Amino acid sequence: MPAKLFRSVSALVFTASLIAAVQVASAATPAELQKARHDHYKELGDAFKAVRDASKSDSPDFAALEKAAETVNKASVDQQQWFPKGTGPEAGKTRALPEIWSKPDDFTAAQKMFADRAPKLLAAAKTKDVAAITAAFKDAGGACKNCHDTFRKPED
Amino acid sequence: MTEGAAPAPRIRVWDVPVRVCHWLIVLFVAASWWTAEAKRMDWHRYCGYALLALATFRVYWGFFGSSTARFSEFVRGPRTIVSYLKGRWAAMPGHNPLGALSVLALLGLLLTQIVLGLFAVDVDGIESGPLSTYVSFDTGRSAAEWHDSLFDALLWLIGLHVAAVLFYLLYRKENLVGAMLHGTRSFSSGPVTSVRTASWVRFIVGVLLAALLTWMVARA
Repeated sequence: MPAKLFRSVSALVFTASLIAAVQVASAATPAELQKARHDHYKELGDAFKAVRDASKSDSPDFAALEKAAETVNKASVDQQQWFPKGTGPEAGKTRALPEIWSKPDDFTAAQKMFADRAPKLLAAAKTKDVAAITAAFKDAGGACKNCHDTFRKPED
Repeated sequence: MTEGAAPAPRIRVWDVPVRVCHWLIVLFVAASWWTAEAKRMDWHRYCGYALLALATFRVYWGFFGSSTARFSEFVRGPRTIVSYLKGRWAAMPGHNPLGALSVLALLGLLLTQIVLGLFAVDVDGIESGPLSTYVSFDTGRSAAEWHDSLFDALLWLIGLHVAAVLFYLLYRKENLVGAMLHGTRSFSSGPVTSVRTASWVRFIVGVLLAALLTWMVARA
């Protein structure tokens, strides 16, 4: 009987610790969230470059341009999830300024500006009109700059 | 001249293209610095194009230009540099053997900076050099990071260059800045010959070459 009880308790403890371990492993740490954010923005920079490159070309690759504009558009919505509390300078090397969390309304407004302009870039990409794409690209870039001016630390 | 001795004859050392090129490079390096700090990337690109044209012309002039501009006339081996440092070197118009290294380093670094700038991409993928379409975002970012770091090296070299000029002015009482402005310098000792200028045709070919290259790069 004690042996059986011991086995049951052991099994229970083992299972519980396994669940705990999996949970710890899957809950991202602030550093991991930061890294994910930085990767997302790198992807966004890559997409912006792809839009710019295609629109400057003599024979633009409109399929690639539209795909990149879609990435930009998706990022403009997703980025609202990229700044969980605790992922600022306190969590590691980042140019995200504390104002992001201390002035949430201003930050949300700045993010919204991008989310409003990115669909216009995607729409312009679909028209295959280079002048419209260039104008929409400039507008979207302006939204990036608007937010960065206040909420991103300048490069040293 | 209050001394009784006859003034040393003034000799033409630098031709007009070398002098104009030199001071325009000074101007546009300063402007590039300022526009980069002020994040005026449109102006920064124009400064880069101007420097590309100037550096191209200067390299061309180093092969086909006036005698004191030519690399073959002023770049010398380590033995000559050592002789110069020991004071055994007959004064000649043009770069001295040690200064030649400074010219090569400055021009080489300037060209490197220009080329890196052509491929550079900013962190957001929004601003970029005209040739960045030919490289990936990551490569463009690396180019931009090198462009940023090497500028410090360029500033150090410029500082060294200015320090050497000041050394000549204060310690050896020779005004090299004046020579680079009006093109002439007086030599107190030894027979020296004036600069041999190059023809107008060569000058025009050089300007056209620099303009053509810059135009092709800028519209890429």
